[in-house]
Amino acid sequence: MGRLLQFEIFRYNPEDKDSAPHMQTFVMEETTNMTLFIALNRLREEQDPGLIFDFCCRAGICGACAMVINGRPGLACQTKTKDLPEIITLLPLPVFKLIGDLSVDTGIWFREMYQKTESWIHTTKEFDSAKEEERMDNAVAEEIYELERCVECGCCIAACGTARLREDFMGAAALNRIARFVIDPRDQRTDNQYFDIIGNDYGIFGCMGLLACEDVCPKKLPLQNQLGFLRRKMGITAIKQFIRK
Amino acid sequence: MHWLRNFGGSMSVDATMHVVRPGRRDAYLDWLQMLTGAGLVLFMWCHMLLVSSVVISPRIMDAIAEFFEVTYMAQVGGPVIFFTMIIHFILAARKIPFRAEGQKTIWAHAKMMHHADTWLWVVQAVTAMIVLIMGSIHIFVVLSDLPITAAKSAARVQEGWGWFYLILLPSIELHVSVGFYRIGVKWGFIKTADRPKAKKVENIMFAVFMAIGLVTLLRFAFLG
Amino acid sequence: MQTYYSDLLVIGAGLAGERVAVESALAGFNVICLSIVPARRSHSSAAQGGMQAALGNCAMGEGDNVDVHFMDTVKGSDWGCDQEVARLFADAAPIEMRRLAHWGVPWNRVVPGTSTYFKGGEKFEKFEKPEKEGLITARSFGGTAKWRTCYTSDGTGHAVMCTMDNKCAELGINVLDRKEAISLIHDGEQCMGAIVRCLRTGKLETYLAKATAICTGGFGRLYKATTNAVICDGGGHVIAQDTGVVPIGNPEAIQFHPTGIVPTDILVTEGCRGDGGTLLDVNEERFMHIYEPEKAELASRDVVSRRMTEHMRAGKGVASAYGEHLWLDIRHLGDKHISTKLREVDEICQNFLGVDARTQLIPVRPTQHYTMAGVRTDKNGAAYGLKGLFSAGEAACWDMHGFNRLGGNSLAETVVAGGIIGVKIVEFLKGNETSFKTGDINSEAKRQQERIDNLISGRLGKENVYKVRAEMQEALMQGCFVFRNEQDLSTCVEVLQGLLERSARIGLVSKGLGANHEVAAALKIQGQVRLAMCIAQAALVRRESRGSHNREDFPARDDQNWLNRTLAYWPEGQTMPELKYEEATPHFEIPPGERGYGGGKIIHADPQEIEAKTITKSK
Repeated sequence: MGRLLQFEIFRYNPEDKDSAPHMQTFVMEETTNMTLFIALNRLREEQDPGLIFDFCCRAGICGACAMVINGRPGLACQTKTKDLPEIITLLPLPVFKLIGDLSVDTGIWFREMYQKTESWIHTTKEFDSAKEEERMDNAVAEEIYELERCVECGCCIAACGTARLREDFMGAAALNRIARFVIDPRDQRTDNQYFDIIGNDYGIFGCMGLLACEDVCPKKLPLQNQLGFLRRKMGITAIKQFIRK
Repeated sequence: MHWLRNFGGSMSVDATMHVVRPGRRDAYLDWLQMLTGAGLVLFMWCHMLLVSSVVISPRIMDAIAEFFEVTYMAQVGGPVIFFTMIIHFILAARKIPFRAEGQKTIWAHAKMMHHADTWLWVVQAVTAMIVLIMGSIHIFVVLSDLPITAAKSAARVQEGWGWFYLILLPSIELHVSVGFYRIGVKWGFIKTADRPKAKKVENIMFAVFMAIGLVTLLRFAFLG
Repeated sequence: MQTYYSDLLVIGAGLAGERVAVESALAGFNVICLSIVPARRSHSSAAQGGMQAALGNCAMGEGDNVDVHFMDTVKGSDWGCDQEVARLFADAAPIEMRRLAHWGVPWNRVVPGTSTYFKGGEKFEKFEKPEKEGLITARSFGGTAKWRTCYTSDGTGHAVMCTMDNKCAELGINVLDRKEAISLIHDGEQCMGAIVRCLRTGKLETYLAKATAICTGGFGRLYKATTNAVICDGGGHVIAQDTGVVPIGNPEAIQFHPTGIVPTDILVTEGCRGDGGTLLDVNEERFMHIYEPEKAELASRDVVSRRMTEHMRAGKGVASAYGEHLWLDIRHLGDKHISTKLREVDEICQNFLGVDARTQLIPVRPTQHYTMAGVRTDKNGAAYGLKGLFSAGEAACWDMHGFNRLGGNSLAETVVAGGIIGVKIVEFLKGNETSFKTGDINSEAKRQQERIDNLISGRLGKENVYKVRAEMQEALMQGCFVFRNEQDLSTCVEVLQGLLERSARIGLVSKGLGANHEVAAALKIQGQVRLAMCIAQAALVRRESRGSHNREDFPARDDQNWLNRTLAYWPEGQTMPELKYEEATPHFEIPPGERGYGGGKIIHADPQEIEAKTITKSK
């Protein structure tokens, strides 16, 4: 027989007027190779179908199932119960708007982020279907992909001390997004244009360097390097603007 | 702008998009915070060299102090350092929560996360307050009774100020070594891969300066 | 009730959906995309392999062209595909890859010089030409004639999804997440939009549109074991079929994969077996050589899946809390091999099983993987039966895959078909006006609200939706999996009939308020059971083996009687699907022949009939 796992789960359904925020205890027997994906679905199907949480790919690719697992933001689908103690505390990610129980609204947050960062290639070139593609160095392509690996799970935002203190802070995910376009030769934006977006306390200069973003990132993105890179680049851009004036 | 074509009010395109850009202000302030911080770190190391020279001999310390006095570096440098500290505090304080609500949030956050670097930031914020108050008192006391001599310093420690320095010393050393590390990671001088190493350096730095500081205090306590 | 209007309503914001949306937005139309999850979490992002397109830039792709790609696709489909559509696809694929590069996809590029690659565990050398440096490169995938699969490291689907969603943001397309379409609004002739349940609040909303496109991906979650994301539950198919006039094309055409890990059914690549990995049973003994003396573990995907199933049924499976499974053993390949060439497998085992493949066995079982089946459309992506309704991607049976899909063709289809169909929708929007009949709209909205109220009150019964769903999934696993036969299929249909009745009597256990999942599950269970019945019934009737549809009792491919496509309708009030058939393809560029793999006998069609339909390519 496996361990008896005790789940302490945050419960609150804003759409239910009888519901008040509280912690609820569930008990379930552990089975081999159990992940939180297996466990939570069993809880819902066997014990409480009203339990709200998100899963999608359940393979660590999509980022849907981020939650605070025993204090740390992480992806539930790639958390194995055998790596956890018998008491497992699950909370929804802070910062994001609560939808219910363990589910938060990352969708809206990230769509706003796309608009703030103008998360797309800015180019005046038109696509010509008759022409060969523009060439690119493979190393550059791989560098871009390295930053594009972000799955928008929201862990870095939830773990960020700055974001918790200031709602308008862009956070590592948004800054990493900018870094992705800065290194992309197809994007024609200048340093000054990037500066207009992130050269302030909502952006890179708001970062206090607590680095929990990097330490909790389930995709192990080199976030600190990007933040440092952007701070230097934007800092220098400001000085250059000052000198030219 | 394209998003204006978005229909209905169904998507909450947030008002934060329309905030007037603060221009280059935040960038300059961030530079200043870093530079004043780095300057103060350098000063603290020099300061430690000065006072710890008493361990070798009070006469060396007096000689160095006299050098500063004669060249007017103490008279001018002292207030400059004080001023730098105040500037550094004001700049850094922009990020520190002063309302109970914010303090509660960051405290709960640190407790939830079990994350060393997050705790270190709390340490920095707390030590900042201690250093601001006690450091100011220390500077005032020292500068209002120039020249600096080993005998005067010893007298202070022996006349009941010992506890004062026993609090100020670790606060400053913590603040300096954590701050030094944080400048490194924030500006990317320390890379992701080197963080564990940098952390070690930070700890060693703290330990070494604490040790020197304590030995110096002891020397003052028994200098007679 | 909130009502929204747009020119185009796209249900599903994966790659196909967003690609369709982009065309209309570029043409100046107002577009809304609805998605159950934030767009980038769509299952498109989980496709790691790549997209097939005959660019022919890399050394191993030299000499490739759209004709070779077309031929691979038709052969792969076991001649079940629509050749006109497969041609459209193959021709447009290279241009689409270049377009994606222009939009921002960081495709891997040609690196000139000599490099090495592995095939069947052996090392080979290749030389990339300097003049091709920096062009989009390709990798080998899915046993094609040439290396043709464009990729971005190990996350092609994810990277393209990011770019496509960025494009949508740039164009100001309204991509709304946590919105689930639960029924189409129509009058039997014209589609007018959809009734949508908001997955944040649980409230119903109305979306009216001149054109509606279903791009909701596959329906793997009808099976208990599937590699699909939990959102791939056939929601789009259910609402299309529920109209009574839109058919599901080839519901029996479903692809399986032999090695999904247990319990989460995440794929581990076939490369494990290719490199020398073995399959073990409960006694930790090899068994494949007993069934397949020559090829053993190296037999084709379907054969391995079949033998694994057979062996488990013979009582040699390993019992677990999640059902029976077998073991995949790669321990003997050694640390170096596992941590370099099978790195992905290594990571999956570590992350999702906590198993170290160097010292431990990997629990595996055959699992559902892809649905060639889908909402039947014509070559323009227009659904049969309803004007103004379109479908693209895995959700559709546009039909370039026929009875078997090639690796790398599925992900490519999303964007290539999305582009082609997107243009056709623009033409439709320019040439058509719609009148919205408030009577139809209101009665549909009312009907859906009543369904929810009934579920919450439990007025129709107290059946548990999760139990019914589990039994449906199990029924398909038992009767309609990799290998099928008359007896098991008949039983399957019977079991499903019972479940269909029970699915009409669902009552909720929870209160059903807000973002409640039980409501979502309950709203679609009846449609899912119907869909399952379509699969089983169509498989039962199709007395031949073609591509992924394998009948143990009819092992030959029968071109004489079955060179056609199933159309499964569910007219209102019926208890069984109505199966109709149409010709597989309007013409043959490549007349039916041997696939060159998979073996199997062929019952040939009348040569004259084939001849009459054969064309020579005009280009």
